[in-house]
Amino acid sequence: MARTLAMFTDVSLCIGCRACQVACKQWNQLAPEEPEWTGSYQNHPHFTDKSFRLVRFFEETDAQGQMKQWHMMSDVCKHCAQAGCLEACPTGAIYRTEYGTVNINQDICNGCRYCVSACPFGVVAFNHDTGTATKCTFCNDRIHNGLGPACAKACPTESIRFGFRDDLAVKAKQRVEELHKLGYKDAQLYGEDKDGPLGGLNAFFLLLGKPSVYGLPEKPKLPQRNVIIDSLLSIGSALLVGLGALMAFRDRNGRGGA
Amino acid sequence: MEPGLLKSADWPLLIDLYFFLGGLAGGAFVIATSANLLDAYRYRHIVRAGYYIAFLAILPGPLFLIVDLGRPTRFLHMLMVSKPSAEIGMNAITIGPFHLKFFSPMNAGAWALLGFSLFAFLAALDVFLEHRGGRSMSALRIIAGVIGGFFGCFIAAYPGVLLGATARPLFISAHWLGALFLVVGASTGGAAIALILSLLGAQARESLSRLMRFTVFALVLQLAALLFFIVTVQMAGSAGIGRALAQLLSGPYGLTFWLGAVVVGIVAPLVLQFTGGARKAAPGMTALVSALILMGGFLVKYVIIAAGQAT
Repeated sequence: MARTLAMFTDVSLCIGCRACQVACKQWNQLAPEEPEWTGSYQNHPHFTDKSFRLVRFFEETDAQGQMKQWHMMSDVCKHCAQAGCLEACPTGAIYRTEYGTVNINQDICNGCRYCVSACPFGVVAFNHDTGTATKCTFCNDRIHNGLGPACAKACPTESIRFGFRDDLAVKAKQRVEELHKLGYKDAQLYGEDKDGPLGGLNAFFLLLGKPSVYGLPEKPKLPQRNVIIDSLLSIGSALLVGLGALMAFRDRNGRGGA
Repeated sequence: MEPGLLKSADWPLLIDLYFFLGGLAGGAFVIATSANLLDAYRYRHIVRAGYYIAFLAILPGPLFLIVDLGRPTRFLHMLMVSKPSAEIGMNAITIGPFHLKFFSPMNAGAWALLGFSLFAFLAALDVFLEHRGGRSMSALRIIAGVIGGFFGCFIAAYPGVLLGATARPLFISAHWLGALFLVVGASTGGAAIALILSLLGAQARESLSRLMRFTVFALVLQLAALLFFIVTVQMAGSAGIGRALAQLLSGPYGLTFWLGAVVVGIVAPLVLQFTGGARKAAPGMTALVSALILMGGFLVKYVIIAAGQAT
């Protein structure tokens, strides 16, 4: 495998211009959508089948309900090292590329939508026009030609950076220290730790507050971790049912089996 | 987990119906196999009805699943693609064009559906030939019954495990859904056979009372599994999971859950069966109890899936 490619989104540099969102739509030729008003500048409350990049806006309030800080964050598919969508996919349409990113092969996907409900971040969306599941590919066609994803290219503040994961991780840690010195006590990385949840995210973030401020789960869990224990409990109940059948149909007068 | 961040597959009623019929088929098949192994002649009515029901109930399953796909013509991709990708998940096995993913219950379930359908067909064919006055190939029936019985358990349980392997708040910490779906399969499978036998009348009375003994036992397991499911989800603790559980127990799905899944599906049949006295052996009463169990078995799966997909 080639070196893992990653995207580092530094929330402290985001100005909420949504150039990334537009660049993503243009390059990936995603159809226009009806606007959905959310009460803030955020358009579309969630990722859709036609919005792979989404700038989220959050108003953090203090205990008295007074506005404390206005957060903006450009959100994207995390390309998890342990990806719920990829594990769920029954067709093998979702695969890991040589760069460690997660892609959906549109020629294989049959639209079962299991991946949609298996993503811990609600990224994968079902496209009713094509009948398939879609999501950000890190601009697979661009990165295989050395161009970098359209969103990172368009970002005017370098809030979105793209490169080799190990290089970006070093830069990200330096940036957190800088911010700590500047007084941003809650600045922290999300998804950078390879030993952390989901084996690390290949799109990781620098947040200025707790993940919950940004609507992100504190400890996302790979849903397929449940398969073994759920199956064992099922086998246990199957044994009980078998025992019950044996008891019910056994001949108590000595004739027959059991 | 933040509400609204997650997405839902929004599987329609057709999928619930498949989960219900698949469970019923698996349950009926396992009951028929048990009865066949213990006394094939005495329980011939159960064996015949059970294998027929299993075959007929699983028959529309693949159709329901294929119709629901975004690209129905690609249904075979569940099992095979012409050029599989290199990395398609942990413990995935690729042989030629075929792939098996142990950690994708939908993929494993598709294979199991193929296997179960084959053995359900063979078993039903054997009882059919015997019924037509031919001779049963009893060895074939035993082999198909035993192997198909394992597939039957898998078919009944895997939808629960499949739901448990999603990020939906109601499901991700549940753990007991596979076990619950399996015992619902057993109770509804038993009820379906009992319904047919009670309509056939007196000739199968002794078989019927034994079958009801099993069905009641499965119903008690169903109550226990449902309880374990709720307690496990409750103990998971996070706010999002608590909200999802509240939707099921007291929100818009509360009435269907308590009245449909618990009262109609479990409590009423148990009360009728335990307090019925002499009347409980009457075919009419058995038919009523069976119908209640079948309704409740569908509703418990339906309401859990609906609440889990909505929140």
